[in-house]
Amino acid sequence: MELWNAFIVSIISVWNDSGYQALTMGNIIMMIVGFLLLYMAIAKEYEPLLLMPIAFGCIMANFPKTGFNDEMNVMMAIGFGIKYEIFPPIIFMGVGAMTDFGPMIASPDTMLLGAAAQFGVFIALAGAMMVGFDIKEAASIGIIGGADGPTSIYLTMKLAPHLLGAIAVAAYSYMSLVPLIQPPCMVLCTSQKDREIKMLPPRQVTKFERVMLPVVSTVFISLLLPAVASLIGMLMLGNLFRESGVTDRLSDTAQNSLINIVTIFLATGTGLTMDADSFLNYKTILIIVLGLIAFIGGTVVGCLFGQLMKIATGGKVNPLIGSAGVSAVPMAARVSQMVVQKYAPGNFLLMNAMGPNVSGVIGTAVAAGTMLAMLS
Amino acid sequence: MGHPVTTNPFIIMLINMAIVFFVLIALSFVIRLVHLIDPTAKKKEAPKAAPAPKAAPAAPVVAAAPKVDNNVNIAVIAAAVAAYGLGNKIVTIRPIENTNWKIGGRATALQNTVC
Repeated sequence: MELWNAFIVSIISVWNDSGYQALTMGNIIMMIVGFLLLYMAIAKEYEPLLLMPIAFGCIMANFPKTGFNDEMNVMMAIGFGIKYEIFPPIIFMGVGAMTDFGPMIASPDTMLLGAAAQFGVFIALAGAMMVGFDIKEAASIGIIGGADGPTSIYLTMKLAPHLLGAIAVAAYSYMSLVPLIQPPCMVLCTSQKDREIKMLPPRQVTKFERVMLPVVSTVFISLLLPAVASLIGMLMLGNLFRESGVTDRLSDTAQNSLINIVTIFLATGTGLTMDADSFLNYKTILIIVLGLIAFIGGTVVGCLFGQLMKIATGGKVNPLIGSAGVSAVPMAARVSQMVVQKYAPGNFLLMNAMGPNVSGVIGTAVAAGTMLAMLS
Repeated sequence: MGHPVTTNPFIIMLINMAIVFFVLIALSFVIRLVHLIDPTAKKKEAPKAAPAPKAAPAAPVVAAAPKVDNNVNIAVIAAAVAAYGLGNKIVTIRPIENTNWKIGGRATALQNTVC
């Protein structure tokens, strides 16, 4: 009998300490959201490298009584990497090491398209203020339109950290949905004749030019906007590793092992911010809608600016490359190519679209830096 | 944190877009300047003036990319072809210059978003 009583007391104790006891409806809903994201990552292959750890982090964030935020543990350490803005610059270093800036160097004119596409950021910013967000929250929401996950996280942590989960999920979700969101906007902004415009392939770029770009742009932008010096500096350092030709091991590490490790931490940490208390409110829905508006705005203005460049160059620029000015690298450039292939088979614009695409990364970081300088 | 400079979204947009355009236009000028002063570009043009010596007909491999030392790539490609058991002599290995095949290959290679 004594054994039985001890057994019953133990079982009750385990039950009382368990997460099941404290599970709320909000936790259950958020875990379902996590499962849904997991499904999209695995079954639909929507950005699985990012969405899977985000989804799993989201599920784990909604387990009650885990103490993730109460005492030092691996989850808290991962959270520090986001809170203190350690991960986004390291991701940028990997992006720099993986990205060929050659098309941008070969066609510096196309950098204007990377600037024009940032317009979506400010359309969403204005929209967010109209629906009641304060200026710092609105700036963080607007940057979703830059289609740049690390910059979105970086800016949000500085201006509106309480919105991190919703903004990061919106940014990464829309980045994965670029092939669905952009094409209709691109088709609306161009005629069949526009889509058939063939552009000359970018010229060959020398090693000297490739090496000089990261050095010069780091100095120029970091002195102008010190708030984003870590983002731009790491982006360009990674690119210098790649282009210098004397740091193959560092380049290899930055573009493979390091970016993979930090992506796991950054994405899992982002998911861990998606607890029911901070995520389940009407603001999240507004952020998701405004993020979509920002994306569409950036794409449309990019294409319209492409039309301007077409006129200015006497028809040498295909306006479709304007949509690549949103900085989802290289997805947005691939979408330009995809649309061209659909409507004008045999026309290849991928490398031409990489110019605005890469300059869009710089443009988004500059927009973030300017907003930080103005608002913080 | 201090107070924001302004909370007017139109002014914020105007200032931000002006700075983004300014930075990217300035960078594009810097890129052009670097292209103009590029000392390696002049070196590249100089040997062009001299007629290129003809490759010996007996040579198994002739590289057509003078800018980069492609010896390792050529050796690897030649070894790979040899490993397939193709008996024919390799006459030339040269990079594909701006063809649809090349661009199509690049498109396939760019599969995942990195940023």
